[in-house]
Amino acid sequence: MADPHAAAQHAPEGEHASVKTYVNVAIALALITAMEVATLYIPGIPNALLVSSLLVMSAIKFFLVVGFFMHLRYDHPILRALFVGPLIIAILIILAVMALFSAFVLLPRVVL
Amino acid sequence: MATQAAFMPGAKVETLTFWGTVASWLTTVDHKRIGILYGSSAFIFFLVGGIEALIMRLQLARPDNTLVGAERFNELFTMHGTTMIFLAVMPLSAAFFNYMIPLMIGARDVAFPRLNALSYWIFLSGALFLNSSWLFGLAPDGGWFGYANLTTSQFSPRHTIDFWMFGLQILGISSMLAGFNFLVTIINMRAPGMTLMRMPVFIWMSFVTQFLLVLAFPAITVALILLMFDRFFGTLFYAPAAGADPLLWQHLFWIFGHPEVYILILPAMGIVSEVLPTFARKPLFGAPVVIYSGIMIGFFGFGVWSHHMFSVGMGPVADAAFSVSTMLIAVPTGVKILNWIGTLWGGSIRFRTPLYFALGFIAMFTMGGLSGIMHASPPVDLQQTDSYFVVAHFHYVLFGGSIFGLFGGIYYWWPKITGKMLDERLGLWHFWLMMIGFNVTFFPQHYLGLIGMPRRIYTYAGDLGWNFWNLVSTIGAFLIAVSLLFFIVNAFRSLRSGAVASNDPWDGRTLEWAIPSPPPVYNFARVPLVQDRDDFWLQKYGDGHGAAPRPKPAPVTAAEIAAIHMPSASHWPIVLAIALAVMISGLLISMYQVIVGGLATLYLMYKFAVELHRPPAGHGH
Amino acid sequence: MADHAVAHAVHDPNIGNTGLDNRKMGMWAFLGSDCMFFGSLIGTYLAYKGKSISGPLPHQVFDIPLTSYSAALLLASSLTMVLALAALQRNRVKVAARWLFVTALMGAHFVLNQVYEFTTFVLHDGLTLSTSLFGSTFFVLTGFHGAHVTGGVIWLLILVGLAMRGQLDARDYTKVEIAGLYWHFVDIVWIAIFTIIYLIP
Repeated sequence: MADPHAAAQHAPEGEHASVKTYVNVAIALALITAMEVATLYIPGIPNALLVSSLLVMSAIKFFLVVGFFMHLRYDHPILRALFVGPLIIAILIILAVMALFSAFVLLPRVVL
Repeated sequence: MATQAAFMPGAKVETLTFWGTVASWLTTVDHKRIGILYGSSAFIFFLVGGIEALIMRLQLARPDNTLVGAERFNELFTMHGTTMIFLAVMPLSAAFFNYMIPLMIGARDVAFPRLNALSYWIFLSGALFLNSSWLFGLAPDGGWFGYANLTTSQFSPRHTIDFWMFGLQILGISSMLAGFNFLVTIINMRAPGMTLMRMPVFIWMSFVTQFLLVLAFPAITVALILLMFDRFFGTLFYAPAAGADPLLWQHLFWIFGHPEVYILILPAMGIVSEVLPTFARKPLFGAPVVIYSGIMIGFFGFGVWSHHMFSVGMGPVADAAFSVSTMLIAVPTGVKILNWIGTLWGGSIRFRTPLYFALGFIAMFTMGGLSGIMHASPPVDLQQTDSYFVVAHFHYVLFGGSIFGLFGGIYYWWPKITGKMLDERLGLWHFWLMMIGFNVTFFPQHYLGLIGMPRRIYTYAGDLGWNFWNLVSTIGAFLIAVSLLFFIVNAFRSLRSGAVASNDPWDGRTLEWAIPSPPPVYNFARVPLVQDRDDFWLQKYGDGHGAAPRPKPAPVTAAEIAAIHMPSASHWPIVLAIALAVMISGLLISMYQVIVGGLATLYLMYKFAVELHRPPAGHGH
Repeated sequence: MADHAVAHAVHDPNIGNTGLDNRKMGMWAFLGSDCMFFGSLIGTYLAYKGKSISGPLPHQVFDIPLTSYSAALLLASSLTMVLALAALQRNRVKVAARWLFVTALMGAHFVLNQVYEFTTFVLHDGLTLSTSLFGSTFFVLTGFHGAHVTGGVIWLLILVGLAMRGQLDARDYTKVEIAGLYWHFVDIVWIAIFTIIYLIP
């Protein structure tokens, strides 16, 4: 691409997050990670609560990185579709495999 | 061929030497040539798979036969299945993706031309690697589905499974790279005015297929990686003694395997959706509905995989869930069949070879679908699974469906690709002999399955009542072979001295018929401006509601053609593919080869990536 | 609109009718596919979780502080990656190269931590690929993630090398952007693995 205007032409679709936003997101990620690890050490925390809060916290981190660092929040919807669609399929398959292998405590293996 | 030389717009027309021609094919990045490479390779492997089938049918023609023994028979059905699926049907579909997708969306090439070439050369190296196993007496013998833990080192100590495992990994890389390429091409390289809903249905079906490719192959990649680790590094993924569950393989394999069968059928469905409107001179009935049905089939195809596992003891909840999802997926499939029939109804039908194959597809695929719906019921499937009834079912959908549809595409697009016409009479001989031969081969197999003949047996006792229909089935197989001779003769004659094809020999509806046969290297001298679905038809005839046919545009000038810039040829794709093959085959030979091949692969990936990084001014893009 | 689209195509052949760059779109498609790849590996881990018949148990061998540090490293490296990209956009090539290098270093540090972890498991805890289902699933899942990180580090170092030879500037924004997308993806996979494998009991 021997085009000196390419950088300007390339200006991303939609707004760009500022450096300040990026740093804030990074701080949030660090804080949430610390919270996750701390949650592990809460004495007597019921398992269900532990697991669900860890999943929620990591989901928040996941979407912060995807939305801001990977810019998907500001990007063309088609890029969102290209990623989120397969992500949903992957999660559904993980859940199905867990059920089929009785990895859920709630669904013990049904024996014929 | 003088046409080959006239590629670069404005280039001097020079005829290449023999080696020059070979080099130009080895370094081509032109989607049309890559399509031809895929198609020719696929057809050769189709014949290879066919011979494997004929040997099996000869063995089974009589009870207690001794033509081949049990071990050899295992190799034959393994290689027949693997070859037909991965080396024949898929690359034949890829041939059409390559050749036709840019043409039908009004583009000059795919999004990543060099990656496209790379996909082909990786495919070829995988195909050769897999088949080289015959030469070493190590042909894979674990079935095309390679169930663990039969395929672990404990029960398959020889390298047969490794040829299969690594062969499939190589082929998987090829398929996925192509999938990314066509996804981006279809989304991002359409001609102005071609909205998604104005795309031809073949493009839509191909589009869904690319999604299936890139989402399903990772599952088998993982299944194969786990198997490789078990076989080479002593992991325990498929080791029941360590608490592992052999069903892990089956689940991962079929999470891939079920979308795979839609990968095998959707392109053929797309072809049929183009052929029928052309030869009925009527638009596809309910095109949006056909498109949505295709999307639904693709999406829900990820939710039915365990219907291949009804007999393994998953329990009633799992069985019921997958049974329901399987029955539901029959709905969009049936809808498409009705829409195809609706297309023909009231049409002004011209019977030509492509149409015969499309009609054959509808009839045979419907029959395959009926036996399929029977399999969707677990109790019924308990009798049918692993019997010849299943063999009949999948051959009806894969041969009667995919192969018939793909042959329809070959006859339909042959004039566009080669600039010559195929002979109609020979075409009809091919069709009818194949139709009759196919049904004679596979229809009796429904009966054989129902009276208890299991799959994958190399012989059978003479007093079970199976003799007669096995013999009939074998005769049918040879009829199929004869029918193919008609096609081969037709093809050679056409290339040598067939009637010259015009731009639009069938009075078609889609953009590829607007350009010369064969197309110039740049496809479209002017990028088309699309106003509706079946835009070319509307250009020719108007829409009968007030939009008149459009006037012929001013002739293209030499200056316009000189301004078109096509990507340059590149030797990196084939060299990188060879390095990859050297690395992977090294796993069966020596660690040094793996290291050298691996380093070469990494280095060549770098060279490939930077080839166009800072091109000299005025060069590639 | 059609003319604009045609003009675009002539202007930059990588930009298609959606206004998006082909390569960026291709990378997102690849990342979607990689979700299925890691999804299958994670599914396998979860299918076999708790089913090992011998060998050390996860909570007996995991070093949460070390792994948390590694997680923080990757998250921080995602920040340095976007800083590199922001610098490149303003054509501040040397700054961008430095941030890219820091990102690569942090990635390499992550991999070294992982090598240390694997070595400890093998030599001190008696946990290898063939010890148990946990050994097999753990090493293969985290190993493939580590391989992805390693690939990313090599990619970033190549970009740094190009920058140092004066062959990288604002024109190459998209190329660095897609390297960044890959890098962030590797980070979010770790977010998932860290929680599912290390934290959830």
